Amino acid sequence: MTMLPERAPGAKKLGLVIDLDTCVGCHACAVNCKEWNTGGEAGILPDYDKYGPQPDGVWFNRIHSYETEEGGCSRTVNVPRSCLHCEDALCVTVCPTGASYKRVEDGIVLVDTDKCIGCQLCAWACPYGARELDEKAGVMRKCTLCIDRIHDENLPPAEREPACVATCPSRARHFGDLADPESEVSKLVKARGGLDLLSDLGYRPTNKYLPPRRATVPSAPAPPPSPAGKGLGAALLKLLDKALSR
Amino acid sequence: MRPAASILLLTTATGFGFGLLAWLGAYAALGLLPPEAPVLLAAGITVSLIFASLGLAASVFHLERKERAWRAFTQWRSSWLSREGVAAVLIYPVAIAFGVCFWRDGQSLCTRLLGAATLIGSLGTVYCTAMIYASLKPIRQWHNAHTAPDYLLYALFSGAVLFAALRTVLLGAPGPMASVAAVMAAAAFAAKRAYWRHIDGQAPLATLAAAIGTPNATAKALDAPHFSENFILRQMGFAIARRHAARLRHLALGVGFALPLLLEVLAGVPIAPLTTTLLALACAALGLLIERWLFFGEATHVAALYYGRPV
Repeated sequence: MTMLPERAPGAKKLGLVIDLDTCVGCHACAVNCKEWNTGGEAGILPDYDKYGPQPDGVWFNRIHSYETEEGGCSRTVNVPRSCLHCEDALCVTVCPTGASYKRVEDGIVLVDTDKCIGCQLCAWACPYGARELDEKAGVMRKCTLCIDRIHDENLPPAEREPACVATCPSRARHFGDLADPESEVSKLVKARGGLDLLSDLGYRPTNKYLPPRRATVPSAPAPPPSPAGKGLGAALLKLLDKALSR
Repeated sequence: MRPAASILLLTTATGFGFGLLAWLGAYAALGLLPPEAPVLLAAGITVSLIFASLGLAASVFHLERKERAWRAFTQWRSSWLSREGVAAVLIYPVAIAFGVCFWRDGQSLCTRLLGAATLIGSLGTVYCTAMIYASLKPIRQWHNAHTAPDYLLYALFSGAVLFAALRTVLLGAPGPMASVAAVMAAAAFAAKRAYWRHIDGQAPLATLAAAIGTPNATAKALDAPHFSENFILRQMGFAIARRHAARLRHLALGVGFALPLLLEVLAGVPIAPLTTTLLALACAALGLLIERWLFFGEATHVAALYYGRPV
């Protein structure tokens, strides 16, 4: 059923807390996500033109790098982008078939690929671009929060976390229950001022992002403008400058 | 947003079909169906259902798993796409009963009631289609107060043009439908201009800095996660050059609305009504396809921000 469930009192809100201060943009989380989710319960995550000039495929997690500047200090900010398991998940309510649903017990948003007709409306409804069409199977795919790991009692408790969290070498990814104010993730969000991405749109995402700490080292001043003016002399100087600074 | 041929065909063809059905229903509800109308009404209902079926068939081609299309009728409680499907299927028996009732009893109470039901059902279906787009919060060009009324207006305009042509083919003159179509063309022209003025004046939904959790900074994209296009970019990163958009806008207004307006006025005089109403129909169809292409092509999705694209 694609109506959003009433949240039962005491129900969990499982999600990720991603630290933009310590993420180094190594893409290990995306690689381990792909590796885990291409096998096992979720079946294969397809690739197209794998060894060709335009390789493409379905990824649940993609890592962007940005340059930001604030108060004269610039820095690189790496932003892993995946499903945020929103509380007001429009991707669920727009689904005409009931394939998209949000679990009552832990708030995870999933796609039942046996019901999906591949209309792609849910992908349009997601402001985070978190849903990707499996162009081989013709169904929508998305992050499952590694539901086949986190609830697997055959795994040792320490391993019952999403593949992306388990593999992060800079410990920038944290997994837990964001409904419980005493959980490690909730404390982290409180201490570091964790934010909702695109909060104005009102999707109330479960996943939180910890903003980068304020940079304190000012950026190097911009190089002074080249003394060379116009004309033949300037062109020669430019050529010389280019040759010498090689 | 990528303008998929299946969706362009769906929204324009159902607009013609349900628009014509709405006018037939309105005429009957008001007791204005001409006495020679059984043939006109029967032909009108047949033609409108053919157009609607064409559109709905096209929409099935948009689905990746067509054999599961029946599942789309189940989630009408939350999904406008599901509601559209349910409404579109429900209108068929109502429209057929309406035609049969008029054929048998003429202008009876039953006909008028069924006409009213046909009017409401067909416009309701168009409204559901419009709300699929109007309810998508990440797309500012769709999630606004213009989308739903505009879809209804374009359906009524295209239905009127189709009705005028059909009436001329069957009865030799467009009757009042030429004036109705001309008025609808003028209204559609004005509505489209107002819509473009609105979206051109809108602020972006968000800035890149806010989208990545550094609201007080300025931000620019350095590296994308991948160097080839992916599903997200193909669907939501679609962009057209402003120069091309401006040219297409003129074409949509001219061919889609201004020319049909002129032709319907000529038909109403009447000057060569058969030629003018059929030409108006062809122009409206072409113009509305361009208009619909722009509705998708000019729409930007906020997720494209993450790739540093303007939204």
